[in-house]
Amino acid sequence: MSYIKSERRPSMAERRPSNLSGVRPASIVPQLAYLELPPTSSTPEEVDVLIIGTGLVESILASSLSWNGSNVLHIDSNSYYGDTSATLTVEQLKDWVRKVNLHKVGYKGFKNASLYIPRMNQHKIVSKNYGIDLSPKFIFAKSDILSLLIKSKVYKYLEFQSLSSFHVFENDNFEKLSNSKEEIFLNQSLSLKIKRNLMKFIKFVIDWENEKEIWEPYKNASINEFLTQKFKLEDAQTNEIIFSLGLCTSSQLRTPEALQRIKRYLISFDVYGSFPVLYSKYGGPGEISQGFCRSAAVAGTTYKLETEITNYDLSRNLVKLSDNSTIKVNEKIVISPSQVPAIFDDFYSIYKKKHEQLEINRMVAIVTKDCKEWIEENENAGIVVFPEGSLPSNNKFAVQVVVMNSGSQIVPEGQAVWYLSTIETGTKAREDLENALKLLEDSIIRESNIETIVASEDIEFKNGMASISSVKLGSSLLNFTPTEKLNYILKLSYTQMTTIPHFGVVNPKLFDDDAKLDVKNSTTSSQIQDTAEDQLYQKLTEKIIFDSMPSSELSYDGVITEAKALYAKITGSDDDFFDVDFEEDDDDVQHSGSQMNGGNTTSDGSSNGINAAVDDNNESAIVEEDEDEDALLMEDMTTSPIPTNMASDDIGKETDADIAIESEDEMII
Amino acid sequence: MNAKSSTSVKLVLLGEAAVGKSSLVLRFVSNDFQENKEPTIGAAYLTQRCTINDRTIKFDIWDTAGQERFASLAPMYYRNAQAALVVYDITKPQSFIKARHWVKELHEQASKNIIIALVGNKYDVVENEEEGSEDSKRKVSIEEGKQLAKDEGLLFFESSAKSGFNVNEIFMAIGHKIPDTSAGAASVNDNRNSERVDLTVNNDSPVNGNANCGC
Repeated sequence: MSYIKSERRPSMAERRPSNLSGVRPASIVPQLAYLELPPTSSTPEEVDVLIIGTGLVESILASSLSWNGSNVLHIDSNSYYGDTSATLTVEQLKDWVRKVNLHKVGYKGFKNASLYIPRMNQHKIVSKNYGIDLSPKFIFAKSDILSLLIKSKVYKYLEFQSLSSFHVFENDNFEKLSNSKEEIFLNQSLSLKIKRNLMKFIKFVIDWENEKEIWEPYKNASINEFLTQKFKLEDAQTNEIIFSLGLCTSSQLRTPEALQRIKRYLISFDVYGSFPVLYSKYGGPGEISQGFCRSAAVAGTTYKLETEITNYDLSRNLVKLSDNSTIKVNEKIVISPSQVPAIFDDFYSIYKKKHEQLEINRMVAIVTKDCKEWIEENENAGIVVFPEGSLPSNNKFAVQVVVMNSGSQIVPEGQAVWYLSTIETGTKAREDLENALKLLEDSIIRESNIETIVASEDIEFKNGMASISSVKLGSSLLNFTPTEKLNYILKLSYTQMTTIPHFGVVNPKLFDDDAKLDVKNSTTSSQIQDTAEDQLYQKLTEKIIFDSMPSSELSYDGVITEAKALYAKITGSDDDFFDVDFEEDDDDVQHSGSQMNGGNTTSDGSSNGINAAVDDNNESAIVEEDEDEDALLMEDMTTSPIPTNMASDDIGKETDADIAIESEDEMII
Repeated sequence: MNAKSSTSVKLVLLGEAAVGKSSLVLRFVSNDFQENKEPTIGAAYLTQRCTINDRTIKFDIWDTAGQERFASLAPMYYRNAQAALVVYDITKPQSFIKARHWVKELHEQASKNIIIALVGNKYDVVENEEEGSEDSKRKVSIEEGKQLAKDEGLLFFESSAKSGFNVNEIFMAIGHKIPDTSAGAASVNDNRNSERVDLTVNNDSPVNGNANCGC
């Protein structure tokens, strides 16, 4: 591979042996030292890279460039971090909806936004007790983003919680996933033959790449065909495997792609405990963006919120900002599609024509139920999937729902958020989402009233413990007529555009834009030579990179690939992407001893007593079934004072009454 | 539980640029408490332990990393901070005005029980001046500082990162005010019902990809 190294342009780190690369004086403290510079020249007059938009990918990019010695200015037209992956309060959300519909800079890439807040709730909402993700995501325990969070130490800024409930809606029930061999074995509803086939499949999929002879004949067939023909599985199981384990949105997905997705779940299980995914508390991608921005700032990136480009001088590479400063950008300008400044509108509209725009339709509902019926004990979130064809609207694509309650600190006590999304388009999408919402509504009313209406046949015994499970809803539940109406705090729906293909892994070529070629191809018939416009377009593409809106993926898959692709486009190679020797804190090392034996939840053990070195120690101790307790440390009281969210209790209580939502009460923005 | 309990405290720094925020922390973290401690490159934040009476307080000290310069501090910065240093420069009146702003910001953004210390830095500059002298470099009187602290319920110190004057005292005073969470608070904690996953305790290894599969 050495020829690549010699051919590629030297990375910025190499071209500028600055304070962070090469011989590094041990005494340099980048995050502190530069703060003591005189305050006069607060804006750098010259930067290597200007990044516009503080979304997830841009934030990771800023951090990676900065740590490798580039001088980065990172701006955002909004007053908050996160851009298209922001976590917003209710007030910010209202403003967001308004501006999306006005197509303002900072809000592009979204459309058809509508927010509904029952008037009776308006004065009760304490805006800052809510943190609504514009593109909710969760982290597979074995994934590139998780490795990067640890390596870059950004995880230290965040708190993570586990999520192990994956449900598939079927026959009016939420089937809880049987995801371990043990569970499959215990599941009495499965025949022996099915159990055997399921286990065979799970064993196969963990190492599917190396078992070509099994899937090769099906490589162009759908996953559904593969599962039913090759493994003789029935609908109930294939639905679970495809929609829940794989989080595929269609059973028609090609076999290899689906297998990769199913594997992702299974290899993530038991990495940190008996759960496959984690998510960051206080908001998902919005929090992680903030974390990487902080990391970038520590490495020297300058941050300016509420700032946009007002002018650009292509010949001199000069950018004028809305705060009237002028900056020379030596390398590239990276622009989030949501923040394309007016001066680049024409340029961007040509770009857009060459990159297929796909729709994602999203709905967010906040309800006055904690939805613990769908959430594992001691957890605060769950996944519900409506497979294709499971809705009255006969949905072609799955509707995926993330349910999160107050334990994840994004809503007040007694409430939950439902994040629904589909890759269906147009009015059909809206219909599917409404259908799914209605089913969620009916189910939660029914299941949260379970104690009052339960009949003896609804109770099943599991390991000697009585449990009422929605897996086997008895007739008394199925015929339950709700007397209660679900109270919504708010309902939000919007359409988001993306250039990242659904299902697909991000193609590093996504940002390649061979302008000349494409423009020529599209204009062959009109025998146009290189017009001045074409030349300008081409010059701009050499300088300006548009990145993409968030994908339809519920996981963070693709995010790192995208950041790396951008990084390579700027520096010439991704060889040194986060190739930084983040040193261990002395403190952590000292601390590890007590950390390891601290399976009990002392305040010390849980207080970020963090040591990546622990990983190495664990290499040999492969898997002991009951180690889960150790991995899940109670949150430290000292790092999160409780009283801050007191106001939230009131909301729950006051809105408990069964007031119907009248259309006159609506506030629609 | 050990006789010696340990509490972890997130402390954030605020103040105008060049008032000496970082120097104060460097002074606290390096010289006096631990010899030759080189701050770690790429550290998420600086940490320093100190022992007060019979308990150890571990300060996780978050620098603004420059994000305050254009009013771009993320909500994450304030979240769960239990203590804050609001620093101004006693030779720069503007920095004192800014300090008021940060105190207000903390009241709005941070948790209600946050312990705030107001610190007038660069005491070394005026140390040898006669009191009330005409050409004094001091531009913010000690009384003004005290008054603001009293009005807002803050701890107050004048300090010098350069000479080390009062630096440890600031952190000790904060430490004294931090409630002991090791004993009574555990029960509150239990009610939170929110486990935190420790990403450093990992069952993973290259060979056990099929962990779920071992029967």
